[in-house]
Amino acid sequence: MRRFRDSWRQVVAFGIAFLFLLPLFWMLVNSLGRIGAPPPTTFRWWPADPQWSNYRALFDLLPMLRYLRNSLLVVSIAVPLTLLTAALAGFSMAQLPDPHRRRLIYFSLAVLMIPSASVWVFRFQILRWLGLLDSLWALIIPAVAGSSPLFVLLFYWNFRRIPLAMYEAARLEGASALTTWWRVAMPMARPTTLAIIMLTFVLYWSDFVSPVLYIFDSAWYTLPVGLQILKQLDATNWPLLMAGALLMTIPVVLLFLVLQRTFLSVSSLANLFDRE
Amino acid sequence: MRRRLTYQSQLLLFLLPFVGGSLLLVVLPALATFAIAFTEYNSIQPPQWAGFANFIKLYESALVRISLRSTVLFLLTAIPLRLLGALLLALLLQSRRRFFAGYRAAVYLPTIIPEVAYAILWLWIFNPLYGPLNYLLETIGLFQVDWLSDPENAQAAIIFMSLFTIGEGFVVMLAGLQSIPRAYYEAATIDGASGWQSFWRITFPLILPWLLLLTFRDLLVSMQNTFTPSFVMTYGGPYYATTYVPLLIYELAFDFFDFGMAAAALVVTYVVLLLLILGVFNVVSGLWGTTDA
Repeated sequence: MRRFRDSWRQVVAFGIAFLFLLPLFWMLVNSLGRIGAPPPTTFRWWPADPQWSNYRALFDLLPMLRYLRNSLLVVSIAVPLTLLTAALAGFSMAQLPDPHRRRLIYFSLAVLMIPSASVWVFRFQILRWLGLLDSLWALIIPAVAGSSPLFVLLFYWNFRRIPLAMYEAARLEGASALTTWWRVAMPMARPTTLAIIMLTFVLYWSDFVSPVLYIFDSAWYTLPVGLQILKQLDATNWPLLMAGALLMTIPVVLLFLVLQRTFLSVSSLANLFDRE
Repeated sequence: MRRRLTYQSQLLLFLLPFVGGSLLLVVLPALATFAIAFTEYNSIQPPQWAGFANFIKLYESALVRISLRSTVLFLLTAIPLRLLGALLLALLLQSRRRFFAGYRAAVYLPTIIPEVAYAILWLWIFNPLYGPLNYLLETIGLFQVDWLSDPENAQAAIIFMSLFTIGEGFVVMLAGLQSIPRAYYEAATIDGASGWQSFWRITFPLILPWLLLLTFRDLLVSMQNTFTPSFVMTYGGPYYATTYVPLLIYELAFDFFDFGMAAAALVVTYVVLLLLILGVFNVVSGLWGTTDA
């Protein structure tokens, strides 16, 4: 009986994983279809003559390299900056005495609860005052604030679990707060750091709303906007659309595959969310 | 002659980017929305006081009514389904069996696919002629569906595709289940409780706070996440059926440059969301709050 229940569970679990992976696989299969030919109306696991040249066509049709460069620029500044600001804020919160600390937690939770659509209208104005409108900085700027209070809280919960005596010891040896953060706190926050690297990467790499709202000069378009342009140019060119979609997805999937062990392993999950 | 800051003031300095940045980029804009809602403002000329004019315009606008109705419909259908899905998948995949770590990764994966790529992918899946979904429905002998050209089907389609991006809820549910001490289940088994009983008596009450947390977060996040699909796949159509609030605000503010009305629409949405949150809270405390004591 137990054996039967076990294999039943295995089958269902496999089926669900398959279902969740299927769309990604379709992306690949359809990106290899012949451009111009009508898509097949029957189901196929693999195209008869895969057209890998579609990926080159993508770069000929649109300035994909420029979009790619802009996206990479945004990510390569925003991710380290987020780590710095979010981790420092979390580090600080973990050591401040209680009334301050509690207020900061409430503040973070309150900011987390603000729907992002509600900041669009006036952030546009603020970015204009700061002279950041229509530049990549308009996309990067949230990283200055740690990108999301959630990341600050995750770091806070992590640093809170390190005994205060360890910080004290470093301080008594004359280390500055910055040194203590880098030498004592950060090495003990590896799973959190890796998870936040991934979440931040996805956040900025996929960001479609900010460039739509704040960028008008096509010189600063990023990949998501490029993909939308491709869709507007040729809405029925499925092979190219899928190639573009896959191109955008691959880096995220690779990063996820590298980090998922730390990100989703049950023990580190308990670590991430256990607040005591 | 370099003066060193005290440790405490260094700590306060570390908070500056986060606190200052959040105030400037999130809190100030959100508060300003309430002020702008009472003005006529196109972002070029300075705002003019307009009293309740924007709210009256909203009330009279059929589009706004459609948008609010479809947003609430979306939230009331998508959120329970998303939470149920996350919970069931977490229950199924939480164990340390062979391959299960890979299955958990597979369930999480669609959540991190870039939104535009995800929207384009589903545009293909929902394609009435070549799409695999209709092919599948036909193979099992069901009818073909005009997924994105009929208002109600388009709403259903947007809800359906949101059911595969439940990674965040899934991870939180996994952590919630993980935090329940194993000893509770062992004690229940010794007392002869069935699996079903120990779910309702142990698991469910203990993960209820997590479910509530996710409900509140999803009320805000999943509404926001309708923007890209409705922008890329349907542009609010057909017949404005998928003009959810974020797209409505985008159109009001950045197509018509009526920032005042966009802000007013936001204020109304806040009120609706607040009512929904209070509603959920009341239902939950009515069901469990009294029995807890």
